[in-house]
This record gives sequence, structure tokens and C-alpha cells, in this order.
Amino acid sequence: MAAAANMTAIENDRPPTVISFDTISLSYGNRVIISDLSLDVGRGEIVCIIGPSGCGKTTALRMAGGLVRPSAGSVRLRGAPLTAPRQDVAIVFQDYGKALLPWRTASANVSLAMEAAGVPRDQRQARIPPLLAKVGLAGHGDKYPSEMSGGMQQRIQIARCLAQDPAVLLMDEPFGALDAMTRQGLQDEMLSLVAETGTTVFFVTHDLEEAVYLGDRVVGLLPNPGRVGIDLKVSLPRPRNQLESREMPEFLRLRRELFDFIEKAER
Amino acid sequence: MKAWRILWLALSFLVAILFVWGWQMLADYRIVSPVFLPGPDRAWRSLTLGFTTGDLGMKFLSTVERMFWGWLIASLLGIVLGAAIGTSPRLRTYLAPTLEFLRPLPASATIPVAIAMLGLSDGMVLSVIAFGALWPVLLATIHGFAAVEPRLYEVGRALRLSRPAVIFKIALPSASPDILAGMRLGLTVALILSVVCEMIAGRDGLGNWILLSARSFRAPDLYAGVILLGVLGYGTSVILAAVEGRLLSWRKRAR
Ligand SMILES: Nc1ncnc2c1ncn2[C@@H]1O[C@H](COP(=O)(O)OP(=O)(O)OP(=O)(O)O)[C@@H](O)[C@H]1O
Ligand SMILES: [Mg+2]
Repeated sequence: MAAAANMTAIENDRPPTVISFDTISLSYGNRVIISDLSLDVGRGEIVCIIGPSGCGKTTALRMAGGLVRPSAGSVRLRGAPLTAPRQDVAIVFQDYGKALLPWRTASANVSLAMEAAGVPRDQRQARIPPLLAKVGLAGHGDKYPSEMSGGMQQRIQIARCLAQDPAVLLMDEPFGALDAMTRQGLQDEMLSLVAETGTTVFFVTHDLEEAVYLGDRVVGLLPNPGRVGIDLKVSLPRPRNQLESREMPEFLRLRRELFDFIEKAER
Repeated sequence: MKAWRILWLALSFLVAILFVWGWQMLADYRIVSPVFLPGPDRAWRSLTLGFTTGDLGMKFLSTVERMFWGWLIASLLGIVLGAAIGTSPRLRTYLAPTLEFLRPLPASATIPVAIAMLGLSDGMVLSVIAFGALWPVLLATIHGFAAVEPRLYEVGRALRLSRPAVIFKIALPSASPDILAGMRLGLTVALILSVVCEMIAGRDGLGNWILLSARSFRAPDLYAGVILLGVLGYGTSVILAAVEGRLLSWRKRAR
């Protein structure tokens, strides 16, 4: 099985699969939310998921995180069935205001991930400042989330995820609530962090341009029930640049194609 | 900000002085008969005398002790039960009607029942106090635990926190503002019930002192007891507010 997966990976010149959705379906009661969805995410790939509201993007991400189990089919992580959340799979939630502990400082919030993993106190203390520095929060460790801007709060959450040393980063519209300038800054920071570590990224967004700008691939889901409707490869050169990448013909072509896809899907 | 606080303090101090002065005037001009209303001067003399030559200090301490133990039992019980009920939606739906029925019962109404079951003992007094003070703590704790942001539980799951870690690192801190507010109310109830129990069951303490003073027309002694009760209520609430301020310092920093 694993050998066969490797064979196809070599044939298609694709990196080995890290997350794979194998014809999964999910129903709540008798309502089918997702039906026969199949999708492979390769190691180090950034796959962006788009689709009309309610088509099951968040649900798919939660399944990849082991928070929800499919009613049929299986989600696998490096070939092994995923049945519960895993230490090396980190989730960045959209609502940073609710996902941080308001009674803990930025440092202590980052520490939580390591406490969960049983990292001893002195090692935690040593690792926190570099983690905060990585997300541009050096010197802000003693602040409470409520004392920080939305962008800074989302950075805390990203730092907390990095503290897990994740092989896979699952992000659910992480920058959706931020203003345009902050969002672009965080997009670039995320890209360089991920490039450094070779992390696999599953990125849900409703912003088509963001999907093309960040992704190696953009997967569009169709609603009712959720399934894959389009899977586009993005062959824009890296590192990407907010001005140049967004002006390339390839970028404009992909944006157009996704725009048409969404319009059709919503009809 | 700081100047406002000082002005505020000065004003409330002034009101207190005016109050004592008005009281003195009422007594001096015998607007109310001195048999019922001695001036603050006489009440004060009786207070110091009670502490130096009498056993008012002992009575004060036994009331404090009674209130404290009853409140502590109520708080521990309320937090544990409240956490269990608050975190379980099923328990909540089963128990909510019962709790709503029991809650508005005046705690002093339980005293005859407790006397019938436990006699005029210290155990009876303690159970009445604990039972009465339990309600505010229990209901506030249930609310606090039920209102924990579901996203935080999900964060706990995603990070693979153990169950005790979820309780002590997520649920309890999140519910702590509600719990502390409930404990503050519970302390007031505990003080009231301590006094009432001492009066009804004749246990030694400030309540009994006040009752006996009233029966033998020792008005200054009565007022000395009432003053002490006021001081006790005020002092405990100041201490609790300070503890609360320390524990919840993260809230004050918000925006
Ligand atoms: N726990 C649940 N019980 C019942 N239905 C649910 C549950 N969670 C999600 N759904 C339904 O599943 C569908 C997909 O939800 P999901 O949140 O995955 O959509 P989404 O693509 O992320 O939408 P959006 O773009 O608005 O975030 C929705 O119709 C939603 O109502
Ligand atoms: Mg969603």
C-alpha cells in the first residue's frame, strides 16, 4: 500500500503524501455535509482550500486535525489512519480572540503547547523567546492578549503552533479578520517560516487572491455535499512578492479561473 | 485617575463622619430615647470595655470562626459540585429545575429542619451556614463552567492536554471570575446565618451577645455588637476584593 503510494508519487514527480483524504464522507444526522472527497497533500506543499460558504472547508480541516472523524472513508497521516489530534499537526484557528487564554500572557500562551507535550519548565523558558521572535513578537512576551492588536494576537497563536514543532500546519482563514496591510505582512512571514522548515500547510481561505499567492495548489470545493470541484497547480516562482507575483499573467489567469469556479459553484 | 480616587475616598470618609455626627446629635438632643439609641460615644465606650474587661473579643472570634468554616465548606462543595454540573450539559438539564426550586428558599427557613435533625449543636449551626452559603457559590460556579469558550476546549484537544490539565489550565481559570463573585456573596450569607443561628440556637457569639443585650436593655452593648458586625462584614469583603484583584489582574488590563 505504502509502496504503491510511493510509486505513484515518483511517477507524478510529486513529493510523498502527508495527509490523504480517501473518499471520505461526513453526515450530521441525515444531512450530508461532505461526500466522497478525495485529496492528497504532499510533503512541504502549501495547499489552499477555497469554496463557497458552508461547503465544508472548516469541516475538512477539522478532519485533517483529528478533531472530527469521517462517517465513511479515512483520513491518513503519512499512511497511518488519523483518529485523534496529533502533536505534530498544529491548528491555527480563525478566531484568535477566542483561541487564546486571556488570563495568560503571550509567553504563557505559547508555553501551553509545550506544557501539553510535557516539556520541562526550564526548556520551555528557553524556547519561548526565540519562538516569539520568529513571529515578530520579541519583547512582547509579558503582554496579555487583550493588550495586543488582532495581528499580534494571531501571531501568538502561530507561535503556539510552532512550539509544537509541527510537520503539518492547518490554518482556517487565519488572516480573514485582519486588515489588508497586516494580512499581507503575515502572509509573507508565514511563507518564509514554512520555507525554512519545510512544513506542510493546509490553508483554508475565502480570499481567492490569497489562495493563489500562497499556494502550490488551490483546491476548490463544491457545496451540498462538499467535494472537490477543481484542483489547480500554481506555478508562480518562489519566493513570492506581494507586487510582482500578483501582477504576473499566471496569477491573473488563476484568479480568473477560480473566480469563475466560485461563481458557478454558488449558482 | 489617581486624583479621582483620592477625591472619592475623601468624600466617602466625609459621609461616614457626617453619619456619626448625625447619630451623636440624635442622641444628644434626645430625639430618640437613649434607652433605645445611645450615642456613638457610649457605644464606643461599651465596645472598648467589652474588649478589655469583658469577653466581647472571644465572642467576636467565635462568630468569625463559625462564618469562616461554614463559608469554606460551602465554597469547596460549591466549586466541586458546580464544576461537575457546569461541565456536563446532561447533568445541567436534569438538575436545573431542582436547583431553581431550592435556590429561592430563605436559608433561615432551613434552621428548624436542621434543629429537628441535628439538635442545638455546633454541627447544626455549621450545616445551616454551609447550606445557605452553598447556593451563591454553586450557581455562580455552574454558570462559570458552562460559559467556558468552546473554542478553548478545542484548543485543549488539539494540543492534546490531559483531562486534569484542561480542568486546571482552561476551565477553572475561565470560570474563576464567576466563582469568586459567588464566594463573595456566599461570605455575606455566611455572616448573616452565623448571627441568626447564634440568636436562635443560643450559641456563643456576636449574635447571642446582641440578643442578650437587647433583652436586658443594655443598648450601648447592643450597638457595640452591631458595629463589630459591620466591621466584620466590611473587612472580609475588602480582603476578598483584594484577593480577587490579584487573581484577576489580567482582566483589568483589558482594553
Ligand atoms: N457540528 C455540526 N452539526 C451540524 N452541522 C454542522 C456542524 N458543523 C458544521 N455543520 C454544517 O456543515 C456545513 C459545512 O460547514 P463548514 O463550517 O465546514 O463550512 P465552511 O466551508 O467552513 O464555511 P465558511 O466559509 O462559512 O467558514 C455547514 O452547512 C454547517 O452548517
Ligand atoms: Mg469555515
